[in-house]
Amino acid sequence: MNEKIQRKVFQYFNKNKIENFVGVPDSTLKYFIDEGLKSKKILIANREEEAIGIGTGMILANSSTLMFMQNAGFANSISTITSLVQLYKIPIIFLIGWRGFLKDDAPEHEKIGKIQPDLLKNLNLENKILDEKTWEKNCKWALSKIKKNIPVALIIRREFLD
Amino acid sequence: MIRRDAIEIVCQYVKKDIIISANGFISRDLFSSFEKNTNFYMIGSMGLASSIGLGIALKKPKKRIFVFDGDGNILMNLGSLVTIGSLRPKNLVHLIFDNNIHESTGGQPTHSKEINISKIAKASNYTVFSVKTKKTLEKTLREIPNIHGPIFIHIHLSQGAKKSSRVVISPVSIKNRFMNAIN
Repeated sequence: MNEKIQRKVFQYFNKNKIENFVGVPDSTLKYFIDEGLKSKKILIANREEEAIGIGTGMILANSSTLMFMQNAGFANSISTITSLVQLYKIPIIFLIGWRGFLKDDAPEHEKIGKIQPDLLKNLNLENKILDEKTWEKNCKWALSKIKKNIPVALIIRREFLD
Repeated sequence: MIRRDAIEIVCQYVKKDIIISANGFISRDLFSSFEKNTNFYMIGSMGLASSIGLGIALKKPKKRIFVFDGDGNILMNLGSLVTIGSLRPKNLVHLIFDNNIHESTGGQPTHSKEINISKIAKASNYTVFSVKTKKTLEKTLREIPNIHGPIFIHIHLSQGAKKSSRVVISPVSIKNRFMNAIN
């Protein structure tokens, strides 16, 4: 996703009452995170599970929160998602950068990238892909879900190699 | 002093304040000795009680937050000490009930006997208290209302437990009543 839209995605959530953005940096989400840092709304955790813990605390304090992370870190967090987020019905929006979407991405991302759609499916975590055309509609969808206490994931594909 | 005794002493000082309790026997002991709707019993997600406590502390700066953590739990999320120490929430009191074992899973050793967790907390900007007796625990609890957090109370325990019951409230009910009580 290009720089302009990533910045717009951040501003969209910022304007629509997402008060906190907690996560672990990912190059696929670089401009989204940069926009958040400029607005001083970003909290960087050491690990994705830690980010989910902090964000859960913020949500328990009635302050809505988005978690951003790479799909590798999302996979690290599966047990936390099942035994905290889904068990207690914590309304979190996960924003996940999808490494390994392209077949010739770096080798460490290949396997986890391949099983990413299955991970979401097996978790029963409702999700949508964000792209240049549909991002606003799908961000709106995510906001409507968390109002109903349903955690969801938004995925941004890594469509370039470096 | 065994864990249940220490938890009962701390609860006398906590009163209505918020408690986030780690999974396993710590949550069971709290549930059995001081059940209230401002307790968040974290029954899964081992390691994350301090992170959940941090999130609440940042958003509720006028409320005092107690985290009931274990040695096994904090060792699973040591990076949490660094994050908490960087953000320095004044209202966070982080207690480690340290019996040097994973008691909930059958008493296997943790590494807390070899490495002093208090020193890591001190290096992470906490104000640290290390206590071994009921008397020093009570003295510490009387002192902390006048001290800015983050505060770390490392409670060295002897092993052995009173039987505490499982948390029987559903997770969604734990969340809902907790949110109603604190917001």
